Amino acid sequence: MGGLSLVWLVQVSGSKGSLPDTVFLPERLGLGRILSTIAALVAMAGFMNLLGFQLTMFLFLIFLLLVLGRQGILVTLIVALLGSAGVYHMFGRFLDVPLPAATIKFLANLGL
Amino acid sequence: MDAFQNLLMGFAVALTPQNIMFAFLGSVLGTLIGVLPGVGPVAGVAMLIPLTFQMTPTGAIIMLTALFYGTQYGGTITSVLLNVPGEAASAITCLDGYQMAKQGRGGAALAIAAIGSFIGGTIATVALVLAAGPLTRLSLEFGPVEFFALIILGISLLMGLAGKSMIKALMMGVFGLLLAMVGMDPVRGMPRFTFGRMELMDGIGFVPVIMGLFGLAEILVNAEKQFAQVFIAKMSSLIPTRKDIRDSVWPILRGSAIGTLLGLVPGMTGSASSFLSYIAERKVSKHPEQFGTGRIEGVAGPETANNAHANGAIIPLFTLGIPASPTVAVIMGAFMMHGLIPGPFLFKEHPAVAWGVIASFYVGNVILLILNLPLVGIWVKILKVPYGLLFGVILAFMVVGAYSISNSTFDVMVMTLFGVIGYILRKLDFPLAPVVLTLILGPLMERSLRQSLEMSQGDIRIFLESPIAMVLLILAALFMIAPTFKFFRRGKGILSGKEGA
Repeated sequence: MGGLSLVWLVQVSGSKGSLPDTVFLPERLGLGRILSTIAALVAMAGFMNLLGFQLTMFLFLIFLLLVLGRQGILVTLIVALLGSAGVYHMFGRFLDVPLPAATIKFLANLGL
Repeated sequence: MDAFQNLLMGFAVALTPQNIMFAFLGSVLGTLIGVLPGVGPVAGVAMLIPLTFQMTPTGAIIMLTALFYGTQYGGTITSVLLNVPGEAASAITCLDGYQMAKQGRGGAALAIAAIGSFIGGTIATVALVLAAGPLTRLSLEFGPVEFFALIILGISLLMGLAGKSMIKALMMGVFGLLLAMVGMDPVRGMPRFTFGRMELMDGIGFVPVIMGLFGLAEILVNAEKQFAQVFIAKMSSLIPTRKDIRDSVWPILRGSAIGTLLGLVPGMTGSASSFLSYIAERKVSKHPEQFGTGRIEGVAGPETANNAHANGAIIPLFTLGIPASPTVAVIMGAFMMHGLIPGPFLFKEHPAVAWGVIASFYVGNVILLILNLPLVGIWVKILKVPYGLLFGVILAFMVVGAYSISNSTFDVMVMTLFGVIGYILRKLDFPLAPVVLTLILGPLMERSLRQSLEMSQGDIRIFLESPIAMVLLILAALFMIAPTFKFFRRGKGILSGKEGA
């Protein structure tokens, strides 16, 4: 891999300044959307076992649809509810895939 | 007729209500994935593998293969009505398909594409039935030495055709092999590259890696732009004119032949088939100058070819155990997750699975024809769902898919990490197809290499002693050095499509 990287480096350095036609870094707004999406995914993975699938997925979808996707509040709420509680029960009951429940006692008592 | 009897047995399996339902489900989801922008067939199949864990192996493979060729149908709808290819293999259809839609003949273009796809898919499946016997007998002669050489040939063909730079393709191939080496050493039982993490003891799961590299990376690329609403050309009557049908007969037959033959070759993508078919149609046409202005031949040929390709690409997997394209490699991974090794032994040890899946291709193609002709209006409605909503739903589905592989958030993190890696690699124009192939073939390749070396007590000359292995290795070497020749580079420009199919 190291050897191939060196060959590539030599190849790229040798080519006569033909810059790629696309810019590598996106504009600020685009970069913001990319970083927020990645952060949301990391937060989702990090908090899923603690807050439970339903609450984390609900917040995840609210953030993605409302903030990044600029959808209306009603549509966002319906999709977030279906995507969190709906998917939790569907996967648990029909597909035998238990999605994590909250480990915080207060949330667990609420059925989350 | 041995093959005929086996096929009848296959139909007995494929036509059970349960398996018809799986073929239907796969066709619907495949068309949906083909229609949706940003989810290609590779990520689509990977995303849905976790859903198949509770199914029988036959049902699971029937659903995933139906999903694979369903994406080819779905991609056509967006190409014709939106001028945006749902997946790479339908890109060329935009040229004439969208022009036809603008002239109010979009319905006819979609109908001819669906009929062509049906005929192409069926002809390729007949080829699979005919090739299964002889190729399987040939590959039963293969030991670990020959199998290793065959994998090397498959991978080098893909490297030779992937992207613009051979160095980049090689780097990606090695990257996939490195990922495949994570986990337990198959011979010594020692952990490798696990960094002390229990989650890596079984290796990096290929599903989260592929979902990240192909699915998430695509979403991140799309996130650069403001989510915009799409504009859809108006639909017209679905019934093609008599002239349309007359003009499409030969392009459909030629497209079937091109797609089936190229589907057999490892490394060829569906887009290569559709591009070649388009070029062939323009060459034989009396009015090549009219191509790009709404000629039905420009839709019929390529659309037939990409569907014949999707079905044809399954032939090397079923007969030799070698996937010919990234999506087929993912399907191979699904086989292995269900405890089946695709290849000649599949026909011997699990004939009901092998022939059941083959027979299901016919069933799936009929379902897709029905789904795509009268129900095209429903797919058009899905296109009107704003991307701002779709991307959130797709991401949520990917999180659930990644989590449910081993009920662990670790896989969600792996998917996210590979999404970022895939995004950067895409921006740097690295081809991603070699990663998939080497990641999935890596363990098989390592096993056959080490078995061979154990047989020869470490003597590498064992690969030179088998005539079959020698021929395969020489061919592999030729394909690796071929890009240095000018004539090959010229042809490669046409053949190397983008990722997908």
